[in-house]
Amino acid sequence: MSADPLISVKNLKKHYNDGSIKALDDVSIDINKGEVVVIIGPSGSGKSTLLRSLNLLEIPTSGTILFDGTSVTDQKTDINKLRQRMGMVFQHFNLFPHLTILDNMTLGPRKLLKMPKAEAENNARELLKKVALEARAGDYPSQLSGGQKQRIAIVRALAMKPDVLLFDEPTSALDPEMVGEVLDVMKALAKDGMTMVVVTHEIGFAKEVGDRVVFMDNGKIVAEILPEEILKPTNNERLNTFLAKVL
Amino acid sequence: MFLLELSVKDWWQDLKDTFILNFITDDRYMYLVRGLGVTFAVTIGATLLGVLLGVIIALVRSTHDKNVHDMRPGVGRIILIILNKIANIYLTVIRGTPMVVQLMIAYFVIFVSVSQHKIFVAILAFGINSGAYVAEIIRSGIMSIDPGQFEAGRSLGFNYAQTMMYIIIPQAFKNVLPALANEFIVLIKETSVSGYIGLQDLTKGGDVIRSRTFTAFMPLIAVAIIYLVIVLFFTRLVGILERRLRNSER
Ligand SMILES: Nc1ncnc2c1ncn2[C@@H]1O[C@H](COP(=O)(O)OP(=O)(O)O)[C@@H](O)[C@H]1O
Ligand SMILES: [Mg+2]
Repeated sequence: MSADPLISVKNLKKHYNDGSIKALDDVSIDINKGEVVVIIGPSGSGKSTLLRSLNLLEIPTSGTILFDGTSVTDQKTDINKLRQRMGMVFQHFNLFPHLTILDNMTLGPRKLLKMPKAEAENNARELLKKVALEARAGDYPSQLSGGQKQRIAIVRALAMKPDVLLFDEPTSALDPEMVGEVLDVMKALAKDGMTMVVVTHEIGFAKEVGDRVVFMDNGKIVAEILPEEILKPTNNERLNTFLAKVL
Repeated sequence: MFLLELSVKDWWQDLKDTFILNFITDDRYMYLVRGLGVTFAVTIGATLLGVLLGVIIALVRSTHDKNVHDMRPGVGRIILIILNKIANIYLTVIRGTPMVVQLMIAYFVIFVSVSQHKIFVAILAFGINSGAYVAEIIRSGIMSIDPGQFEAGRSLGFNYAQTMMYIIIPQAFKNVLPALANEFIVLIKETSVSGYIGLQDLTKGGDVIRSRTFTAFMPLIAVAIIYLVIVLFFTRLVGILERRLRNSER
């Protein structure tokens, strides 16, 4: 008997310009608790749109998304409550430049989870230790390198104690020498059992920590592969060309 | 040689006499001191009111522009559209008519019942006027914030208002602080038309002296110099503020 999936997407469509652009064209996917699902695919294939639909940053044209049994798309759902449990990490970090690292991390827990200041700060410092940035608690984001910013963005999301983390190309804006430190944090999270949905071009990461790899093209999920199969030729020509390009 | 010395001496004596007549006799300098107090009271009061109004109008306008297209039909959307209409009418009227006319309408038409409190009426009139300009300053500040900031706030679970309050407004405010300070400087000069409703601000104070002493040069030049010194002082301050803000960005 398998448990219900944490996230269940059914027949999701997202159209622009009255349907002339189909960013998502009938996408269905289940994501189970503790799973690391990696989404790959060429630019413009709808990866971001799918990921951002999960927490309703994009409002789908049709289809349903269930998160832990609750409909994300239902107008009666308090989306803000659901978003507290779905952390998101962006390509460009999006740290709050007017707040210190510590305040970046405690703003959500204090205002939304009503956590006492001392507790929120203790939690934040514990998380900072995990990414080896505890010395930077009082610094502002502008004082950090790209890799450090992204590590902070990850622990800022974690401070809300979410059930799932959504990553949209978390290493694409980084200098090559900083990619590793961010991927290491993500790998550690995966090992701890965090449910993760990761849009990335890092095939090595997909292979090493992914439970499933989903290939998108033209707004559709066109192939699902096991990580260990990622280097083997498939019967999908588009996937083969894509993999040949990114590898 | 002797003649020239005499005339310089005469000229100097003359200057001293007019100075004494205009500022010392009957403590006339007090017209300027009290006037300056009124000018500052009106300017500061109007700035505070202007910023308050400006933030509200800016929030209405940017919320409308950002959200109205993908809002679900309903009461909220209708209210937002109406508020935005009101904001636009306010901006059009205030920016399309002269300040003096607005001041006189405020005093002689709208706030007749409280017309004995001239400072109060002036603060309202200048504040409502300034609000229109502040609104556009703040709105440009809000629009200049990276949309990713908004998304990061929403993705944590903050609602629209919380995201604005904790994340967008503080950054927008910081970005436009120099522009707001400039608006304060502009207001200092703008309030010089307060005399139209009989309020004795700095300008009117100088004018009163002129009408008492029948000399125009001294009191009016004195008024001009005082404005200039104040404006230069605050301009310097804004410059320092700008540098500080720039440095804290790094
Ligand atoms: N606001 C929008 N208006 C019109 N088209 C859009 C908009 N946002 C995204 N799209 C289109 O949707 C498609 C999918 O975009 P996206 O999900 O960002 O792709 P990916 O993340 O895989 O690169 C692209 O063709 C893109 O041009
Ligand atoms: Mg993308």
